[in-house]
Amino acid sequence: MEKMEHGKTTTIKSILNIINSDGGVKIFGKDIRKSEKEIKEEIGVVLDDSFLSEYLTAKNINSVMKDIYKNWNREKFFNYLKTFNLPDNKMIKDFSSGMKMKLKIATAMAHSPKILILDEPTSGLDPVVRNEILDIFRGYIEEDEKRAILISTHITSDLEHIADYIILIDNGSVVFYKETEEILENYGIVKTSKEEFEKFDRSDYISYKKGKYQYEILVENKERFRNKYRNSITDKPNIEDIMLFYLKGDK
Amino acid sequence: MSVIKGLLKKDLLNLASYKQSLLIIIAFLAIFSAFNKGMIQFLPIAVSTAMGMIVLSTFNYDEIAKADNFILSFPTNRKEVVKEKYILVVSSMILGGIIGVILTILVNYIMMNINPEFQVVIDYHSLLVTTLSGMFGITLVEAIQIPSIYKWGAEKGRVQMFILIFLIVAIITGAVFLFSHFNIGLDLDSLNTFLSNYGLIILIITTIFMLYISYKISCKIYCKKSD
Repeated sequence: MEKMEHGKTTTIKSILNIINSDGGVKIFGKDIRKSEKEIKEEIGVVLDDSFLSEYLTAKNINSVMKDIYKNWNREKFFNYLKTFNLPDNKMIKDFSSGMKMKLKIATAMAHSPKILILDEPTSGLDPVVRNEILDIFRGYIEEDEKRAILISTHITSDLEHIADYIILIDNGSVVFYKETEEILENYGIVKTSKEEFEKFDRSDYISYKKGKYQYEILVENKERFRNKYRNSITDKPNIEDIMLFYLKGDK
Repeated sequence: MSVIKGLLKKDLLNLASYKQSLLIIIAFLAIFSAFNKGMIQFLPIAVSTAMGMIVLSTFNYDEIAKADNFILSFPTNRKEVVKEKYILVVSSMILGGIIGVILTILVNYIMMNINPEFQVVIDYHSLLVTTLSGMFGITLVEAIQIPSIYKWGAEKGRVQMFILIFLIVAIITGAVFLFSHFNIGLDLDSLNTFLSNYGLIILIITTIFMLYISYKISCKIYCKKSD
């Protein structure tokens, strides 16, 4: 999860060795630059803006990909097509955005990768298709718990439904890396008056927003905060609220 | 090698839409040469040029689909991606040359049966030289164009290529002008003897050398490239 244009895609490209990264990237304990082919055999990739030519059909994709991945499973691919209601002999250019994304996902999953890397897999899709796609990812993880998905998105509600861990990156730096459940359960937003706000210790909140009539503050542990400031009322924030406080709130 | 096979398949499937156009072009060239006795030996040049140019459109397909990043997520590396394009280009030129030679013999045979006056005594050595010269010409163009495409993209690369070809023509014309201006005489007889003895081998070696240099430049450009 990241602020727009601040390196989500760069992070993914570094992982895939598409661009050079200064620090180096290790996947499955191996350096991507040294064991590139071996590692990539175990990775499935969905990129928002990059795929094969739209003048190919799903059948053509199968024919190409079976030579690309050693573990490519033709049966699995066509099963996904069937499950996602995708025609196998229609050119991709005639697919809707949702169908294109489903085809990309089927292509990424048909060689049973250990890691799925997804760059904006739900952007530009309507809520129904988005939910369908999130269900696909849930199913993929449930098939084998050793599998992992790295998803980059600015649609924060998707993360609440699917992600176990969230990394917030701002300007290329990691702001936080936490479990989703921990974030949603512990974080809180306190709405308070100016007088009350001035009584709070700076170390008790992450950031604040000054409204017209009140102050809003983001706290990392609402229980602890409530114990310390008895009269305070805390709301449950969503991921987007938290992101906005981190990135746009006053410190 | 398997990934290269997959990438070749991807390009050939993209080119499938050109199948009809290519057949029409080849048929047109065959018919044209059937009625122009003097043109028949140039058929291999025309066919290999047509095929060599058509395969370059695979770069456009990749560019439009922004396929680069997706392709680089495969178990491959940039050098292999470049190698695949050169394999495709070289194979298409060789195939074009072979089809052209077969077509030349076929057209000559058919026309000879229809109209015995048409018969051209095919000099196979000169047919081979003509075919290889054609392939040399198209290799020169592609050896410039492919690195240009890697550097500037399929659309911009085409413009840059025309500029480069213009520069090459200008340099050659300039050299010829300087030779004649300063009365530097060339012994054409010796040159002809030299070319008929070693022309074929020079042509082959120069073609391979151009492709090799072009491949190395393309690899260097593409390996440094990051968008």
